[in-house]
Amino acid sequence: MDLTGYWVSVISEDWRWRMVTPLKGDVASLPLNAAAIAQAEAWDPAKDTAAGLQCKAYGAAGIMRLPARLHITWQDDNTLKLDVDSGTQSRLFHFGGTIPANTRPSWQGYSIANWERPPRGVETPNTIPIFARRTGTRGRSLEVTTTRLRAGYLRKNGVPYSENAMLSEYFDYRKHPNGDEWFTVTSIVRDPTYLESPLILSSDFKKEADASSWRPTPCEAR
Amino acid sequence: MTHRWKWLLVGALLLTPARAFAQIDFTGEWAPVYHEDRPERLPGPELGDYTGLPINEAARLAADSWDADRISVVTQYQCRPHSSDYGMRGLGNLRVHRELNPATQDLVAFRTYMPAWGSERTIWMDGRPHPHEYAEHTFQGFSTGVWEGNTLVITTTHQKINYFRRNGVPSSDKRTSTEYWTRHGEFLTVVTVVEDPVYLTEPLVRSQNWYLDPGQALPTFYCEYVPEVPGPTPDAVPHHLPGANPYLTEFADWYGLPLDGARGGAETMYPEYRLKMGPPHSTPPDRCQRFCVCSGFECLVNPRRGRQ
Repeated sequence: MDLTGYWVSVISEDWRWRMVTPLKGDVASLPLNAAAIAQAEAWDPAKDTAAGLQCKAYGAAGIMRLPARLHITWQDDNTLKLDVDSGTQSRLFHFGGTIPANTRPSWQGYSIANWERPPRGVETPNTIPIFARRTGTRGRSLEVTTTRLRAGYLRKNGVPYSENAMLSEYFDYRKHPNGDEWFTVTSIVRDPTYLESPLILSSDFKKEADASSWRPTPCEAR
Repeated sequence: MTHRWKWLLVGALLLTPARAFAQIDFTGEWAPVYHEDRPERLPGPELGDYTGLPINEAARLAADSWDADRISVVTQYQCRPHSSDYGMRGLGNLRVHRELNPATQDLVAFRTYMPAWGSERTIWMDGRPHPHEYAEHTFQGFSTGVWEGNTLVITTTHQKINYFRRNGVPSSDKRTSTEYWTRHGEFLTVVTVVEDPVYLTEPLVRSQNWYLDPGQALPTFYCEYVPEVPGPTPDAVPHHLPGANPYLTEFADWYGLPLDGARGGAETMYPEYRLKMGPPHSTPPDRCQRFCVCSGFECLVNPRRGRQ
């Protein structure tokens, strides 16, 4: 699976919450607890801007839902880099290793990546395929786990996630019948502070031929 | 192990057919996740909400004529199922099981059941071709599947006319849908790609999620044709004539949206549309007042007034 290149988010879902900044208090669809709803009610974009927190909606748990273009490259043999033009953010997916000690929380957190292993029992090398005739399937999805997040927003209208949030993502590439290349990222946000259950979203991106539409813009609180 | 047994084992291995199985197992019972577009998918879409749909003018014209009374007054509409492509978006509890050839143990088909309208579907995995284009069309259509790595790719043709959104946005019987089923642990993601030469200007791509929930007891579904609302005449079909639907701006007004965004189209689905979208159709309310907080099947119409 090759994810490198330029990609654009196609907003066919949640349009009213993604393409425009939703109205205050519009938290429909999200499994929020009372504390999260109260936080969203207190959203004040002017206050965020004054405090230098206008990137709160551009953190890892929210940024893949924003209308944006992505540029994915290999930074080195073990690091996949995902740049986002909306908010001019960069995510780094580290293959192998562990989170360095004293990693401070940040908007994009610290991401550990691996090529997803197949379900247990499916791909067992050196078994004799007489009585179980599966040849198995290769694990193919890119699995990314992100922690060490700075508290941010799931939606631009102040729906919060906390520093305790953990983001699990699965990236799946495919080619459509008309030849277009796409990937879908299934995102699972677990946040004991603000979510009653894991938040499960899937976002779709279409490959672009070049960088002609790439336009980095700064974070905006509104 | 004796040499004789070793050779028997080698022989058996050589005789074992090489199957391109990719045995990700979708069988089981799945519960739907409504963390995207929940107000549209459970209570139902607002009139005039065509957001995120790459529709053409013909689809918009048909949707503008929609009157929701049609479901109450016209009995033929009352039990109209969701087709297989829209059913996966409207979502619902889902059971999947495998049908095996008892003689060979080969996978012949996946069969699915969703309680909504008692929708049963067969996804043929035995390589059979799709029927001729003039063959019977059904709500679930004709589906075949192949494996691509860890993803099941399903192609569906022969679906009846149905909805892209059940506020009257139509889909035609010329459409083809392609689904990509991928399982990650206890989560199932299904991407649905629909090409419709009659009503879409580009493929409609949507993705939806389930989680494994083996404890479900899926119910049967009963739908009875009953005259719910007396129509003006026995054969009346409630509708709005072109330009005469008074409700088409409500959705944009309630949520502070530009009207051309609410009316959909491919150009409204890409980031650069934000640069050219106009102002809200009317002065937006200072806070959300309708369907702002959802739980279960319910959405609070106005959180400050309580449930309706």
